[in-house]
Amino acid sequence: MTESAGGDARKPHRTVALLGNPNTGKSTLFTALAGIPTRIGNYPGVTVEEKLGRFTHRGTTIDLVDLPGTYSFTPQSPDEQVAVDVLRAALPGVPAPDCVIAVVDATNLERNLYLASQAMDLGLPLIVALTLSDVATTRGVTVDAGLLAQRLGVPVIAVVAPRGEGIGSLRDMVVNPPPPPPRVDLAQHLSTVDGARPPAAREAIARYAWIEQLLAGVVSQRPVGPRPLDQRIDAVLTHRLWGTLIFAAVMLLLFTSIFQLAAPAMDLISAGMDGVAGWAESLLPEGALRSLIVDGVLAGIGGVVVFVPQIAILFLFIAILEGCGYLARAAFLMDRLLVSAGLSGKSFIPLLSSFACAIPGIMAARTIENRRDRLLTILVAPLMSCSARLPVYLLLCAAFVPDVAVGVPWLRLPAVVLAAMYAVGVVVAAAVALLLSRTIFRGPPQPFVMELPGWRWPQPAVVLERVREAAWSFLKNAGTLIVAMSIVIWALGSYPRPVLPADAQVGEAEIRGEALRQSFLGRAGRLIEPVVRPLGWDWRIGCAAIASFPAREVVLGTLGVIYNLGDVDPGEEEGATELIRRLRAATWDGTDRKVFTLPVALSIMVFFALCAQCATTLVVIGRETGTWLWPVVTFTYMTALAWFGALLTYQIGTALGW
Amino acid sequence: MARRNSPEQQPSLARLPVGASARVADVVGVDPTALRLLEMGLTPGITVRVIGRAPLGDPLELEVRGYRLSIRDAEAARVAVAPA
Repeated sequence: MTESAGGDARKPHRTVALLGNPNTGKSTLFTALAGIPTRIGNYPGVTVEEKLGRFTHRGTTIDLVDLPGTYSFTPQSPDEQVAVDVLRAALPGVPAPDCVIAVVDATNLERNLYLASQAMDLGLPLIVALTLSDVATTRGVTVDAGLLAQRLGVPVIAVVAPRGEGIGSLRDMVVNPPPPPPRVDLAQHLSTVDGARPPAAREAIARYAWIEQLLAGVVSQRPVGPRPLDQRIDAVLTHRLWGTLIFAAVMLLLFTSIFQLAAPAMDLISAGMDGVAGWAESLLPEGALRSLIVDGVLAGIGGVVVFVPQIAILFLFIAILEGCGYLARAAFLMDRLLVSAGLSGKSFIPLLSSFACAIPGIMAARTIENRRDRLLTILVAPLMSCSARLPVYLLLCAAFVPDVAVGVPWLRLPAVVLAAMYAVGVVVAAAVALLLSRTIFRGPPQPFVMELPGWRWPQPAVVLERVREAAWSFLKNAGTLIVAMSIVIWALGSYPRPVLPADAQVGEAEIRGEALRQSFLGRAGRLIEPVVRPLGWDWRIGCAAIASFPAREVVLGTLGVIYNLGDVDPGEEEGATELIRRLRAATWDGTDRKVFTLPVALSIMVFFALCAQCATTLVVIGRETGTWLWPVVTFTYMTALAWFGALLTYQIGTALGW
Repeated sequence: MARRNSPEQQPSLARLPVGASARVADVVGVDPTALRLLEMGLTPGITVRVIGRAPLGDPLELEVRGYRLSIRDAEAARVAVAPA
């Protein structure tokens, strides 16, 4: 995509890397300099996000690389490793940048200058962008940028990115970069550090001593009131009682928004897709092509697009909470609880999000730097009962769980069963996480060293960019595979064409049922019958389980088709009650023994609570972990758990005479 | 370093009550975590204050070099402190 890193004489071209600590306004600066990224992808061989932006200034084309936030040149996470590797030209095919902008947060100068001073040793042209000086001013901190530049030997440009201040000067400077700065001379400070320490530790201590000396006279603190506002906010939000209550309220709001705010948009998308399907149906002649387009392609696209509102809303919340600094507080508040399950505080948001949908949840796990914690979180996230399981639970509860009181009159059994299904997911997830952290992921305890960034207003441009990027990457990456998968399932359920008795007086629903029975899918259902028999299932339920591999919701439609009903819309009362009557009446082939009993219904519910019947989730796990190993592991362990869970439920239920 | 003061001999950051300040005396150990604590600014001689603890007692919220840092008791126990 770039002509050549060196650029030719007629079209000058430069690569500029943006380096900085996390939470320094780096993303805001990126947006101010380059606008919407021209490319977001992964660095070769690693799953760390590569963000590129391009702009032209005074005839020079600038490719701006947003490096992952890092605290030092001694990397401790894959993200940090990439930042260091790019700067040292250690990644194959990624040349060293022509110039580095070190983002330095004026409210946190000492720790930010630690990284910036390490960047001085790279031997590359360096510019310091001093951000958040407006916030520093409100705290009574004034930074003498001129003196700082003089002492560092590096140009320092104060920027207030949201207002565009300093952006022009910064652009001018990357077009005509300064010569590389002198290396930092730590000799004097190293001599005062205990020589028994390892070299890296000695360097860290000496570097901070050098920074303290450098900053003398550069920073002046003017007294402001008794206590700054953001410290007072922090005191409430991390308070044992108030902090916990506010946290619960924020999470409740997040959770309900994903359901409530997304619902109208999802209905609209469903209606729109139905409209398109109806239009296509009226346009195309009856036959295989129409079936392929309507039941295969369009149904597949609809199944993908319908998740976009939930993903957009979740990432809107996450971006706002992250932008203002709350996400780090949520991790702080929940850490202890999650540690007892082998996870970390940073797993909280991804797991909570997974109750709505595992896909945005798994994507949210990107905020976990620690590779082990991130993988563990991704592996157990699909066990949280997502919204796609809800229709399955609701239908089976309504059809087969007797509506009797449990203890108190207002507590009904179906509600208890529903709550139990959510609990099953959480308990099993905790057990799996604990087991994995003591076995495959065993190792020394992972350290938890997390900055709690200062409170500030989230930047709308950065927030919207996060939402846009999350929605788009979901559509692009997961979408293509889901559509392909839906077409495969359609084909398996449609071929070979059924042979119908010539004399039979049959309706369309019966034809569809017979077609499925004779299709590859139906045959597969019969083939796996011995496996699902111990769960109390007949071949038709097994068939529905296979067909619902692309997405759990499909199971309702498949049950409807397979029990001679045609498609059922779980949202419609009439269709659902019709389906319920059909299911209640269904008998084992050639007998009058009922297929669906309470233990069978519970066994199906437990199966769906624990299984990995969601192709999108598996695709996203593959993409996020960068290997197909983890989707395979997830699918295998969850399917095994689901089978044993269903077996246990059915056998115990039957033994107890439910 | 093995010869360095162990947490039993010298008070550690983990034992500091909420609201108290102390001076960092040493960061015990030579592993990446010890290095990261130093890199985050917990170097010998710097003053650190315990701002609070999470509702279940762990992790801690600290103030060091003008910013807020959260570490668990396990990490805090490795930061030996002396009176401010």
